[in-house]
Amino acid sequence: MLRKRIVLLSILLGFTLFISIQVFTQEAPEVSAKGKEVYEESCAHCHGTEGRGDGSAAENLLPKPRDFTRGLYKIRSTESGELPTDQDLFEIITKGMPGSSMPGWETQLKTDERWEVVSYIKTFYDGFKESETPPRQISLKDKIPYSDESVQIGKGLYTDLGCIECHGNVGRGDGTSAPTLTDEWGFRTWPANLAENWNFRGGSDTEDIFKRFIGGIAGSPMPAFEGDSFLHFGLTSEESKRLSVMENKDEMTPDEEEESGKLYEKMDEAVLVALDRVEGTELTPEAQKMYDDAMKIVYEKSWHLANYVKSLSPEKRPETAIGNNVLRSQYMAEDLPILGDEAWDTLQESYYPLVGQVVIEPRQFNPTIDSVRVKSFYNDTEVAFLFTWDDRTHNTEVEENEDTGTSYEDGIAIQFPVKPPKGPTDEKPYFLWGGKKAVYVWQWKASAQDQITELTVKGVNNVTVQEMQGDLSVKGEYNEGQYRLWVKRTLATDDKKDLQLESGVFVPIAFSAWDGANGDNDIKRVISSWYSFVLEPVPSSRRFIYPPIVALLTVGFLFGLRGFVLRRNAVSVETDTEQ
Amino acid sequence: MKTKLLTSVAILLVCSFGLIVFADNHEKSDEMEKLVFPKAYTVKAVSGGGKISGVIKFDGEVPEMKKLEITKDEAVCGAEDKFDQSVVVGEDKALKNTIVYLMDISTGKDFEKNPKIEIDQKGCKFSPHVQIVPVGQRITMLNTDKVNHNVHIFSTINKPVNKQQTKTRRRMPLAGVKKAEGPVEVKCDIHGWMKAWIAYVPHPYFAVTNEKGEFTLEDVPAGTYKLGYWHEACGSNNKEPVTVTVAAGGEVKQDFTLKLKK
Amino acid sequence: MKRISLFTICFIIFIGSWVFLQFVIGGVISKPIPNSVIGMYMALVLVAILVHVSVEDSRFLEFLRPIHETLVDDKYRVRRLVLVIAIPVLLTGFTYTNLAQKTPPPGDPRDAHPTPPLELKYKDEVIETMQKAQNPYRHYEKDDPEAFKSHVENGRRVYYDNCFYCHGDHLDGQGHFAHGLQPLPANFQDPGIIPNFQESFFFWRISKGGPGLPASGTPWNSAMPVWEDHLTQEEIWDVILFLSDYTGYKYRTFGEGH
Repeated sequence: MLRKRIVLLSILLGFTLFISIQVFTQEAPEVSAKGKEVYEESCAHCHGTEGRGDGSAAENLLPKPRDFTRGLYKIRSTESGELPTDQDLFEIITKGMPGSSMPGWETQLKTDERWEVVSYIKTFYDGFKESETPPRQISLKDKIPYSDESVQIGKGLYTDLGCIECHGNVGRGDGTSAPTLTDEWGFRTWPANLAENWNFRGGSDTEDIFKRFIGGIAGSPMPAFEGDSFLHFGLTSEESKRLSVMENKDEMTPDEEEESGKLYEKMDEAVLVALDRVEGTELTPEAQKMYDDAMKIVYEKSWHLANYVKSLSPEKRPETAIGNNVLRSQYMAEDLPILGDEAWDTLQESYYPLVGQVVIEPRQFNPTIDSVRVKSFYNDTEVAFLFTWDDRTHNTEVEENEDTGTSYEDGIAIQFPVKPPKGPTDEKPYFLWGGKKAVYVWQWKASAQDQITELTVKGVNNVTVQEMQGDLSVKGEYNEGQYRLWVKRTLATDDKKDLQLESGVFVPIAFSAWDGANGDNDIKRVISSWYSFVLEPVPSSRRFIYPPIVALLTVGFLFGLRGFVLRRNAVSVETDTEQ
Repeated sequence: MKTKLLTSVAILLVCSFGLIVFADNHEKSDEMEKLVFPKAYTVKAVSGGGKISGVIKFDGEVPEMKKLEITKDEAVCGAEDKFDQSVVVGEDKALKNTIVYLMDISTGKDFEKNPKIEIDQKGCKFSPHVQIVPVGQRITMLNTDKVNHNVHIFSTINKPVNKQQTKTRRRMPLAGVKKAEGPVEVKCDIHGWMKAWIAYVPHPYFAVTNEKGEFTLEDVPAGTYKLGYWHEACGSNNKEPVTVTVAAGGEVKQDFTLKLKK
Repeated sequence: MKRISLFTICFIIFIGSWVFLQFVIGGVISKPIPNSVIGMYMALVLVAILVHVSVEDSRFLEFLRPIHETLVDDKYRVRRLVLVIAIPVLLTGFTYTNLAQKTPPPGDPRDAHPTPPLELKYKDEVIETMQKAQNPYRHYEKDDPEAFKSHVENGRRVYYDNCFYCHGDHLDGQGHFAHGLQPLPANFQDPGIIPNFQESFFFWRISKGGPGLPASGTPWNSAMPVWEDHLTQEEIWDVILFLSDYTGYKYRTFGEGH
């Protein structure tokens, strides 16, 4: 009797265990031990051990490390709403994401280790297991090559599709929606500055741009312009043009009403087919053809747009090499050019990358200003500078905002030592706002754009506004996401606390900049190291005098030598005959 | 003997289910604020069904509706003042925009045929603020303002959606989804203040309270059900749903009083 | 078979020496040699050649013969013409480029391995002499592997919360701020870094940062923060453990080689 009960109880116990084991094993994803190990060693400190993007380093990062548990991946070769392919994940791990803190792991992890990580991060989101069909990929065939014509068409679309709302009129990420953007996790995010494509997270090739555009950037505010959400989906290019004309009228005539109504009907038909496709309904051959025809136009236009975006950036990132990156002010005999003068276009810019100030609290871990570009001219008495830097927002005052935090005033500071070092071993002031040795600073703020304050600074907490403010001519402006600041000063001043400039003398120069909307204020800012600035000596005329002299002397010497040898020969012949 | 055996079976089963529930809760603690859907739902004509109705009231000091800052397209979007819609309290503390629904109904009526589900974006504001959408049903986004919008639906179970609705596009239908989910947030990133909620639901026993805080669920087959609610700012009663018993042709009244989530 | 003339041999030796100095020694074997040093060696080579050829009169004549012939012999008219144009053109071009070159900025001579102070300090507290100071958690490596692991893990956290912006995810000095810094952040994957220094040296560099460098290390250029302002002693020692654990390099220990 008792035994029977024990048997029954054990069976029940076994059953219970079986169920609970079932439950737990369902929860635990199939983990590749190797992938888990590599992930925890190399990825978890940012992405978190559970893949939620909440590792210990995540706090100070923006863009935030990806949260793998929602299956939202920004950089994909797949259509909107689809998961990325394994290849997509592998490539991001291999190459990293420019402009973010995600590095490429090509040198650090072996190929098979990177693949193991791919399969491991997929376990954080059940959708990978559940999807029965492979994700639909964006077709890259029929690429339209880059041409001025294509860029022009793309430019029109850029406005028509509403890209300007976030990316701004000329693409510097300064659209009117830019300051309020957040991602699906509620973190602040900025639209890409299309003029700085070296920071594009998914790469800067035209194909990359095309894929981001068609597939969208999941989790971010960037929509997908695939299929039916494209402007005038289902219409031919001519019909679309015609419809745009009518739509842009304040009021249509009855004829136009009728004409546009027909076009709308045609669009609706195509749109419904596109929705059927997304919903997984099998399309009839006619519907499929209608869809394919419509998509052909979408893809064509998207290539034009990608070409336009490609055209907004320089071909490659400007050289950031430090040793050669001297700011050389060019001599001109006449008056120095003012802001907007064409003379500035004749000079090449010097590019100075700016990075977050992470030395002194409060630190800036997530800079939004990429760099400052500088040009300079001088004449016998004055020097003029043109500083240019991109900033998505124009902030001229302190503003409190519950959602995006307090924003401050934008600005820039140009820093020199008070006295140029006498030689390479002579001590310089500390690169970040001076120290024991003082720096001479021009501070410019967006609220007073035609004014610069001269400062003497001996460390971040020791800033003195100079009593004697020099006679600087200043003009600043903000336009389409870009600041331009023009400064002119005499080479020599009467103030001992000012830097005195002399032709041919190399002077250290460094920069600080503030993007108020990014919380930059006071010490929190972006900075540069010391670079060199020089009033490039007038190329001496000797270079036109000496070489011809050298030429003449050499020719003369050669003929002289021949003459000498000939004469000696003659003498020796004479002596020979005499003998 | 037999009773003892049955008792032990029962105890062990309870234990095992407890484990299951525990495991589930452990995994999905942040999903407590979502709607609860039945595992399966079968459509069957309902005759002589009952009715559940009630009023939802707000408890506590009514927060002042924050005026939204219109940061762009002022001419269109700023024509009239806009206020945060997360807590809309009407007369007599009636709470609007609360979803009230049956959590565990497995058989019942079908959805209304071809419902017209439209979300308007007029004046850069989504209306309605909370929208119930049957699974598989298309939604049409309306835009008569001649400004660009993007419809961004934060789905996690269904495919996420983020589509531009250009200024000339008056009607943009969105594909039906495959699975019940929600409520999910809907945003327009271009106009950061625009926010709404969509619930994709598998059966028609869902209601959203009106200005008077009223809700009605009709044609409920006789039986006992768990009655749930969800509100954007006040949360849900997923942990302790109310049990209601509906008699054939009868009417059950069930009111709720909701407080702000801590 | 025609004999190769002495002049040609000397010419080949001269050019060969230059190629050897410039590309073999200064490229394959070690770092590029400065032009001034090459100039000195080449002057020596030239003197050696001249001494060699002028020891005997006959050899000197033999050496001069091709030059002589080129200058006067009618057989070599074409060669003469080519040389009389090529030599002046080359020299003129050389003079011009030399004069037109922009002056480079003065270099920033920097002692990459500055001499540490005699005492290891954290803030004002003296820990030990620099030579004797030990990582107090190093002994766990043998004594208590679990405790050691937790110190390494803490070091990893410290590193990724504070250091990787500049020193990089891979500890290779290529963090996402590195491109804006000069001198570049240290590359711990470089076999010349960790094995050459004691842990106490690392503690000194981390705790005192750029401003704590002696003048020869150009403290005014370094963006390395003074980490004793942000981190505890334990955190600094832990991150030192992490650096060697991650890279696999071992710190130098005092008395090595005895």
